[in-house]
Amino acid sequence: MDNNFLVIENISKSFGDNKVLENINLNISKSEFFGLLGSSGSGKTTLLRILGGFEKPDTGRVILDGTDITNLEPFDRPLNYMFQSYALFPHLNVFNNLAFGIKENFTQKEIEINVRNIAELLSIEDLLNRRIKQLSGGEQQRVALGRCLIKKPKLLLLDEPLAALDKKLRSKTQLELTTLQKKLKITFVFVTHDQEEAMSLSDRMAIMKNGLILECSSPEEIYENPKSLYTANFIGIANIIEIYKKDENFYSDDLGINLKLNKELKNTKTNILLRPEKIKIQSINNLKTSAFNSFSGEILEKSYLGSFTRYEIKIKNMIISVLDQNFNSNSNYNFPKGEKVICSWESDSIKVLED
Amino acid sequence: MKNKLFEKYFVFSPYFWLVLFFFIPLAIIFKISISVSEWGMPPYQDIFLFDNGFKINTTFENYVYIFSDYYYIGSFVNSLILALISTFFCLLIGFPLAFYIATSNIRLRNILLVLVVIPFWSSFLLRVYAWKIILQNNGILNVILLNLGITSEPLQLLYNQYAVIMGIVYTYLPLMILPLYGYLNKFDLNLIEASKDLGLNRIKTFFKVILPLSVPGIVAGSLLVFIPVVGEFIIPEMLGGSDRLYYGKILWEEFFVNRNWPGASALAFSGIIILVLPIVIFQILYSRWSQKNEI
Repeated sequence: MDNNFLVIENISKSFGDNKVLENINLNISKSEFFGLLGSSGSGKTTLLRILGGFEKPDTGRVILDGTDITNLEPFDRPLNYMFQSYALFPHLNVFNNLAFGIKENFTQKEIEINVRNIAELLSIEDLLNRRIKQLSGGEQQRVALGRCLIKKPKLLLLDEPLAALDKKLRSKTQLELTTLQKKLKITFVFVTHDQEEAMSLSDRMAIMKNGLILECSSPEEIYENPKSLYTANFIGIANIIEIYKKDENFYSDDLGINLKLNKELKNTKTNILLRPEKIKIQSINNLKTSAFNSFSGEILEKSYLGSFTRYEIKIKNMIISVLDQNFNSNSNYNFPKGEKVICSWESDSIKVLED
Repeated sequence: MKNKLFEKYFVFSPYFWLVLFFFIPLAIIFKISISVSEWGMPPYQDIFLFDNGFKINTTFENYVYIFSDYYYIGSFVNSLILALISTFFCLLIGFPLAFYIATSNIRLRNILLVLVVIPFWSSFLLRVYAWKIILQNNGILNVILLNLGITSEPLQLLYNQYAVIMGIVYTYLPLMILPLYGYLNKFDLNLIEASKDLGLNRIKTFFKVILPLSVPGIVAGSLLVFIPVVGEFIIPEMLGGSDRLYYGKILWEEFFVNRNWPGASALAFSGIIILVLPIVIFQILYSRWSQKNEI
């Protein structure tokens, strides 16, 4: 795959004294669904607006499909931008909103054919004569998407594409959006603060914080092998344990147990990540704790989540989160509050965090 | 109970105001306009006479008189043209200013708004008089032009219709800017970005997005300028010359110089009807249109 379809090179941007982006470098492939994930103030929207041409970077270049577009006006860029508020034109009906960007280059007949096609693709054929205020949030989102896609852009930028939808509609739209993107093979770059949304939509994603890209990889890689403490905490539930070298193995003061790792460590002291679903939880009656990677503790809190039960287990100075899959329909399978249990995990499940 | 009464009074107080200070004076003017003129005080006869039994003493001659003389109709047409031109220039200058104010950051916006309003703090008469000083033959503007060698003798800048238009545009500009600003303030700037993103350059974006969505503000500002300018008396009187007669001036002369109260009243009443009727019709059509277009 062409890894240089969209190249973001040394982009920096400040608003006054406020540094919003610092030396951003990213390479995005053709037909990739790329997510920019970060909390508010991380600079993700500014980066997207620079790609759209609404902000000029202080330094750096943006190259799309071999052309330097850094200094092009928004109306000269072969890309489209879907706004978080959708920014549909209230004085035009759905048909004219969809046709807005192609009116100049096509005949009336071609416009009609194009609008029908895009409306069919998004199943909004019945809404063409409606006014924008008569549409639901989900319908508005489709019109906004259609208004961009009708221009057949090389790149589609989406600012929080699902944020304005309610939860149920969001998961449905998520699936539709990925299907559509795979079908049209248009490169999508989107911004979100919602880690679940980023995980489920992205082929690859970048984690942003304070104007920097901390990590950029596939959702699986970022979830399973995060490099930084921030990413580990930001994505999913994380048990972070501080360990230090003791003889041949490692020891945690907080848990009061020995741990065994599969790899060598440079530092004598480090943070490790243990995802809650990697921990096996068993009744204390059957077992004793082993010498490594296991402890016994008391269930402090539990919340039943349907397919999973989440336990908060107290041991020494720490509370460890555990997600236990509910294999059996037998409710007795769940451990009650206050019960003593044994938790254990494989050495492979321990991920060492770099900082 | 007391509160309810107060609420009722409160809700209807604008109507009391309107009846007391608009409809009653209007009715009085109408009454004078259909009465017979005579020398005396007041300079018209009563419309109801009781001396030889009850008799209604009215005439429509005053209306016939003003409508048959182009002197009156012409002055009204002049005033309408003046109002149209002034409104156009107010819009031409006011729209970009209002848009700039509405889209600038909050600190600059407040400073600019104060600057728009500041002229109101000094007397209207003084401000118009100041223009007289600027434009007169040995005024500042002519002195500058002479010293720069642009002209060899002073230009006649004062006492013509151009000075009147300039004075009116200067005076009424805030009345255009403020309602426009109030409307543009709510404008979603993402719409402009969306239009550009969809391939329309600045000029096309202005005509396809900004202008159609600003129509309510433009209408409000234009009416606020147009209506009072039609009857404007002081500015044409101070800055204007004899090249053009305006409605306000004719009205003044008819009342105070000719002491023809019935004629002047007929002129005033006709002016209101000619001006108000089209505007009311326009407002009705416009509110229907904007409801349909949901602007």
